[in-house]
Amino acid sequence: MIWSATSRGVHQPDNTAFTQQRLPAWQPLLSASIVLPLFFCVGLAFIGLGLGLYYSSNGIKELEYDYTGNPGTGNCSVCAAAGQGRAPPPSCSCTWYFSLPELFQGPVFLYYELSNFYQNNRRYSVSRDDEQLSGLQSALRHPTNECAPYQRTATGLPIAPCGAIANSLFNDSFSLWHQRRPGGPYVEVPLDRTSIAWWTDYHVKFRNPPLVNGSLALAFQGTAPPPNWHRPVYQLSPDPNNTGFINQDFVVWMRTAALPTFRKLYARIRQGNYSAGLPRGSYFVNITYNYPVSSFGGHKLIIFSSISWMGGKNPFLGIAYLVVGSVCILMGFVMLVVYIRYQDQNEEDEEE
Amino acid sequence: MDTAKYSIWSFLPRYLFLQFRKAANAFFLFITILQQISDISPTGRYTTALPLMIILIVSGIKEIIEDYQRHKADRLINTKKTTVLRQKVWQVVMWKEVKVGDVVKASNGQFLPADMLLVSSSEPQSMCYVATANLDGETNLKIRQALPETARMLNRKQLLSLSGKIECEQPNRHFSTFAGNLCLTGKSPVPIGPNQILLRGTQLKNTQWIFGVVVYTGFETKFMQNSVKSPLKKSTVEKVTNMQILLLFLVLLVISFLSCVGAIFWNDFYQKEMWYIKKKDFTYNNFGFDLLMFIILYHNLIPISLLVTLEIVKYIQGLFINWDEDMHFKGNNLYAVARTSNLNEELGQVKYLFSDKTGTLTCNIMTFKKCTIAGIIYGESSSCVTDQCEFNDPTLLRNFKNGHPTEKYIKEFLTLLCVCHTVIPEKHGNEIIYQASSPDEAALVKGAKKLGFVFTARTPYSVTIRAMKEYFTFEILNVLEFSSDRKRMSVIVRTPTGQLRLYCKGADSVIYERLSDESLFMDETLSHLECFATEGLRTLCVAYTDLTEKDYKEWLQKYKRASAVLEDRSKIIEQCYDTIEKEFLLLGATAIEDRLQARVPETIETLLKANIRIWVLTGDKQETVINTAYSCKLIASCMPRIKLNAHSFEATEEAINQNCEDLGDLLGQENDLVLIIDGETLKYAFRFEIKKNFLNLALSCRAVLCCRLSPLQKAEIVHLVKSHVKAITLAVGDGANDVGMIQTAHVGVGITGNEGLQATNNSDYAIAQFSYLEKLLLVHGSWNYIRVTKCILYCFYKNVVLYIIQLWFAFVNGFSGQILFDSWCISLYNVIFTSLPPFTLGVFEQCCTQRSLLKYPQLYAISQEEKIFNTKVFWIEFMNALVHSFILFWLPKQMVEHDMVSKGGYTTDYLFLGNFIYTYVVVTVCLKAGLETLSWTKFTHLAIWGSIIIWMAFFAIYSYFWPTIPVSPDMRGQVNMAMVSPHFWLGFLLVPTACLIQNILWRTVKNTYKRTLLEEIRELESMKVQRQDYLRRDFEKRVKAVQPKVSQTYELAFRNEAVEQTIPHGYAFSQTEQAVVTQEEIVRSYDTTSYRSRSTSPEGLSSGSLKEMDRKKYSTIISSFCDKGDRKDQGRRGVTEELQSPSELQPQTCLVVHGAASDACPSSVSFQCDVGSAVALHESGSLRKRVEGLVPAFLRGELSYIYTFLGTYRASATPQQVLDLLFHRYGCVLPCSDEGGGPQDQLKEAMTFILGTWLKDHPEDFHQPQDLLPLKVLTAYAQMNMSGSDLERRAHLLLVQLEPPESVKIEPEAHGPAPPPGPAVGPPPEGEPGLTPASPSAAPAPEGELASALDPPGASPPEPALEAEPASVPPPASAWAVVSSTPNLPTSPERPPL
Repeated sequence: MIWSATSRGVHQPDNTAFTQQRLPAWQPLLSASIVLPLFFCVGLAFIGLGLGLYYSSNGIKELEYDYTGNPGTGNCSVCAAAGQGRAPPPSCSCTWYFSLPELFQGPVFLYYELSNFYQNNRRYSVSRDDEQLSGLQSALRHPTNECAPYQRTATGLPIAPCGAIANSLFNDSFSLWHQRRPGGPYVEVPLDRTSIAWWTDYHVKFRNPPLVNGSLALAFQGTAPPPNWHRPVYQLSPDPNNTGFINQDFVVWMRTAALPTFRKLYARIRQGNYSAGLPRGSYFVNITYNYPVSSFGGHKLIIFSSISWMGGKNPFLGIAYLVVGSVCILMGFVMLVVYIRYQDQNEEDEEE
Repeated sequence: MDTAKYSIWSFLPRYLFLQFRKAANAFFLFITILQQISDISPTGRYTTALPLMIILIVSGIKEIIEDYQRHKADRLINTKKTTVLRQKVWQVVMWKEVKVGDVVKASNGQFLPADMLLVSSSEPQSMCYVATANLDGETNLKIRQALPETARMLNRKQLLSLSGKIECEQPNRHFSTFAGNLCLTGKSPVPIGPNQILLRGTQLKNTQWIFGVVVYTGFETKFMQNSVKSPLKKSTVEKVTNMQILLLFLVLLVISFLSCVGAIFWNDFYQKEMWYIKKKDFTYNNFGFDLLMFIILYHNLIPISLLVTLEIVKYIQGLFINWDEDMHFKGNNLYAVARTSNLNEELGQVKYLFSDKTGTLTCNIMTFKKCTIAGIIYGESSSCVTDQCEFNDPTLLRNFKNGHPTEKYIKEFLTLLCVCHTVIPEKHGNEIIYQASSPDEAALVKGAKKLGFVFTARTPYSVTIRAMKEYFTFEILNVLEFSSDRKRMSVIVRTPTGQLRLYCKGADSVIYERLSDESLFMDETLSHLECFATEGLRTLCVAYTDLTEKDYKEWLQKYKRASAVLEDRSKIIEQCYDTIEKEFLLLGATAIEDRLQARVPETIETLLKANIRIWVLTGDKQETVINTAYSCKLIASCMPRIKLNAHSFEATEEAINQNCEDLGDLLGQENDLVLIIDGETLKYAFRFEIKKNFLNLALSCRAVLCCRLSPLQKAEIVHLVKSHVKAITLAVGDGANDVGMIQTAHVGVGITGNEGLQATNNSDYAIAQFSYLEKLLLVHGSWNYIRVTKCILYCFYKNVVLYIIQLWFAFVNGFSGQILFDSWCISLYNVIFTSLPPFTLGVFEQCCTQRSLLKYPQLYAISQEEKIFNTKVFWIEFMNALVHSFILFWLPKQMVEHDMVSKGGYTTDYLFLGNFIYTYVVVTVCLKAGLETLSWTKFTHLAIWGSIIIWMAFFAIYSYFWPTIPVSPDMRGQVNMAMVSPHFWLGFLLVPTACLIQNILWRTVKNTYKRTLLEEIRELESMKVQRQDYLRRDFEKRVKAVQPKVSQTYELAFRNEAVEQTIPHGYAFSQTEQAVVTQEEIVRSYDTTSYRSRSTSPEGLSSGSLKEMDRKKYSTIISSFCDKGDRKDQGRRGVTEELQSPSELQPQTCLVVHGAASDACPSSVSFQCDVGSAVALHESGSLRKRVEGLVPAFLRGELSYIYTFLGTYRASATPQQVLDLLFHRYGCVLPCSDEGGGPQDQLKEAMTFILGTWLKDHPEDFHQPQDLLPLKVLTAYAQMNMSGSDLERRAHLLLVQLEPPESVKIEPEAHGPAPPPGPAVGPPPEGEPGLTPASPSAAPAPEGELASALDPPGASPPEPALEAEPASVPPPASAWAVVSSTPNLPTSPERPPL
């Protein structure tokens, strides 16, 4: 029972445009006369942009080789066969020969690609300890439960780095050899493996635990490497700036990919004579074949790619723009038809 | 009394309980709990808890605000003050302290604090009046009467002695019933009925004070029992939404289930070989675990923020209603109030409007507007435009004054209006307030007053009017009561000339059949009535007839016999009435406007155009309703009416079936027909067998008028339509009798008028005027509907868009439950990043301007027809969201397919894609809101662009959290990578375009090809001025085409007589029938000429019941009177005789009185007040009998006889004669008595009373003749017999005041006994000259009394009043006699003596 329900007086509203709902407003009306030009304009713009993107993407060179080693696909099949059913697989190496008829315009990036590898599987992608990776002592000793079963070894030692992602670190390695002229000696092409990780990952997100007596090894004392690893984490690289958790291969690997087929940056080729790209000539890639993929039906690829302003080769964006632009124009025509028919109808109405 | 929901302590538990009772909140609580199980949640532990908390806090704040207001209102009521008898004294206590059994004192105008038993009151017969408008909406005052057993408890002492107990029934909600017993200690129980009960919430009126014993308090009172919480209403939109939420929940389960199945297959296919994925203790086919996980993953499909968004949006919409200046009634500063906000959108869908009549369509103010007298119509002034316009036609007065041929008819007509009624005049200073239980009568009397015929006073047996400055007193002989069957009321009066005359007013039908052949102007009047009826005025025909004494006498005998009949008395009395109501002479007719509220016809017209059907449901009479329907343009004069008035089921069934048959194919369509049905017929029509037919018939009519309905029936009708027709109903009413229908209807609107708050308190929306419905429905309703539905659809849309992406992502991540986005981003999506657009849609969206909405009511169809929001629309929107989400996932996924999207060649991760998608989702969803928005205010811009910017900003900042703030390590560095990626910006352009392009296309095609009225109007609004005219013409044409085609002029062969096509003449009458106290009793129990103190103290004698008081007062005066005159024995004998046989004497006296009058007053004679003409009368002897009857009448308690006599005797005698006769008979025979209680005492008491009343009520009688002889005689008598009494004092004062200085000497021996110089306390009779001119300070109090008793209200200037002479008045019409030419006494002491 509210007796004074309706007589307010006390908080009488101000008679403003807001309270009286008379705020000035823009009232767009989507009529054909507005939308038609819009569609045509957008359509044309998109088609133009799409063509540009398409050709831009097509200008990017890519060279890829599937070295999974399926039977009959080269000498890596030997390694693949050797690794079959053996865990850990024996060390094996194979080679991929190729030749470039002309300069492979640089900068050239070397990627490896894994397919059918579900880095985005939840049970896989949660299995890491970011605190440990950022060098926290406590996390180093006490990895999070998410890492299980790669949290501790059977003997109870904490695993560093813990988790399934680290455990499944890609451990194939490549070296590129170049023969300048036919029959000439193969020269190793220098691979710049330093700045292949995101700047923030390398400088912020991944940190080694504080050194003990100036030694990284001592810092990791009392931890065990993941079971699949042959060497402890502090021995990933002889370069002190590239070992431990800040090993760039490791850091790159730890960015789990969105899709089951993914590429990871392996190295850049930009040093010495190769700063302009890979010159003409014969090449071979020596592959240390360690990583087993055949069990889950995956493929391993090695890719040389040049990079344009918009990244690697992917014609999709250009095509998408073309398609959307075309659709716009198509719709514009549909609209036009509708509009004309409507106008006719209107005139008829008026004649009546 | 506490109506609030929470206290400080109970708030938290109760609030949480209420919140989690809501399914959606419980669901989210369940999810929150699930998330606490380790490993199961893909989205972290607190990501649902946080938004849930935010939402609970927001709605908690809203609850607190609302409850605080309830507390405040409670406090306001609880601390109201009333007076209660405690510890033997009156104490002022607060309402909440009133306990059962308390004796409460209430004075005029107060609201009663509890239900109580009336003990006694200040009014005659212990009556009191209460205004029950607060409870039942009826405007006429209800009369309550105390039991005789308690009626004499008039003061504190008596009340303290009151002891006993009251047995009563359990508290219930029925206003009109009460059963109980009053068991006074030592007495047998007396039954108590509703007539003794005063209810809480009613207001005491026209009653000085009452005492009551509290029976029920607080929640037990009938008032509170009735104001039970109105049922929780859910809007249709809400129901549909809940249904969709449920379906969406099923979709969620299905998706989760499918994902589980997918997971099983995927695991079976891959798991063995996935050496890199291995988890401890993990059983891969843990179906239940997976299911829960997926439910958590997808649970956001159900929009968590929808409920709270809607709540806030609707709250603001309610505020808009509250704030609306267009719905602000300046009259009493009332704003519209949205009492519930959950029905806002329902206002936009109303199809059936059920309206009360009184107080809703009409103001319940009757105004005398027009009249026709003797075939001439008056009051045709068309210049009258304001509402306040009353009858004002100078022609009438001109005709009257300038001797127009119809002059005497005009006079008679106005006299009739002044005399024939049951109105009680109340004097407030110089003003006369007319109290009438029938507002029509009050209007007529008021109208007559304006024309110079003022009804000034009512005594039980007479009325006094002042016609053109002269006073006339009509003796009321009989009141022939009104009833709805009779449709008329009459009074039989004796005119001042002594003529017996019957005045009658009533419905034309009953008057016309009783007109005599000599009656004139019948045809003219009839055509005028026709004219009035078309204007919706309520008419009354007035007629009179003269009666002969013989006929009257005969009839009186018959009437007496009829009154004594035990069975069927009322019927027999009515028959008896009928025998005398004949041979009428028509005077004319009145037209009363039942004033409509402002803009009602326009509003109804607009609402009809908006395709809302209006049914009028009222408790009022059929004629009145039809009249009102005409005047408010609900029905046009050409519309045929189907009337259903049957008294049995069979008749009802036949009528309904017949009408259905007649309609044939038209049944079920909307026809230009009016259905009129009354409550009784409706009772039969509600029977199961014909209910359906009745409803079909009713639905086929354009308007339905239901009259004479009980509140329950009102609710039943609404329920019938509500349950059988799929349409939204709205009930609007103002009284407690409308509460039922207000609560039953989908939307209840209460009119906050003068009537009280019962309807308002049970309504969903309260407005001050009916016309505000227009804005409430057409503008607020339409807008709110569009807003709410858009808001709901949009909320669903945006949730589906984002969270279905998880499903698409599941296809590429092996149904593992991995999320694509950061979990905090997900949970903040609804709370922050996309929370604003729904609000702007819900608060600021306008389909078009208010002006257009009001100008083109056809636009209401948009919201009315549920085309914007229904299941189909919902699932179309769902599909649209699915498509969008697919595009939003697939395009970016393809874009970043090879993880090589940056210039630096770096590869990306899952969250990189996630952020791309998330950004595009936010952009798309915000732009979609923009696409939905038809009216972009600055807030819309702020919300849409702001949301996008907020996300971007958050994205930027959030990417820097880790490791400083330990959340989302994967987010670290994302912004740098994404923002510099050209793909990101290219996609920014492409993806939302790709999503929205089809929406734009679809919308444009619709706007162009299937143009609706709305688009036309919007176009019109946006057009430049010069093109508008052209367009508008074109447009108006189209509007007409859109209008529902109603067959305007079809001919229908109705074969039954129930269908009427002529305009009915409603007659204006609204009396309470079968009241506790009959109309005659009311008339007979009031004496407004007697002094009534306005002081409010009930303890004071002055404010007590008049007759009670007077009797008591006089009984206390014992003065000695010693006259041992010769006639002492004779006198004693006479008294004794009369005392012994009162019963025998009475009828004789009665008859003699009338007989005498008729003999004495031949109609042609006009009397001047001079002694000469009185001689003849004296001789007849009848006067003597009448005078001598006075004392016995007093002794028998028939005070009314005395009043009547004193009021009317002037027609046949002078005061001197009466005094002579009186003193001759009783004056000198009073024996000196020492022993009290004997007949002598009684006699003296009687004399005191008679003389006192006379002097008090009619002091003007003593102003003449010039020598003031009667007054002097009286004064002497008083001094001698009743020295020191009030009477003596009064007489003396009057004498002093009137006496010219030179004739101060009293001549005691003139007539009557020579009084010895009495031991008078007062000033000596031979007052010195110095005393004579009354100084103002001499006796202010009695002077005031005199003045108030005498002063003619309206206070005409004294000078002309004094000049008034019989000669200056044109010769009166046949029945007129000027009795007293000086009615206006000097009214103020300042006046110099004559």
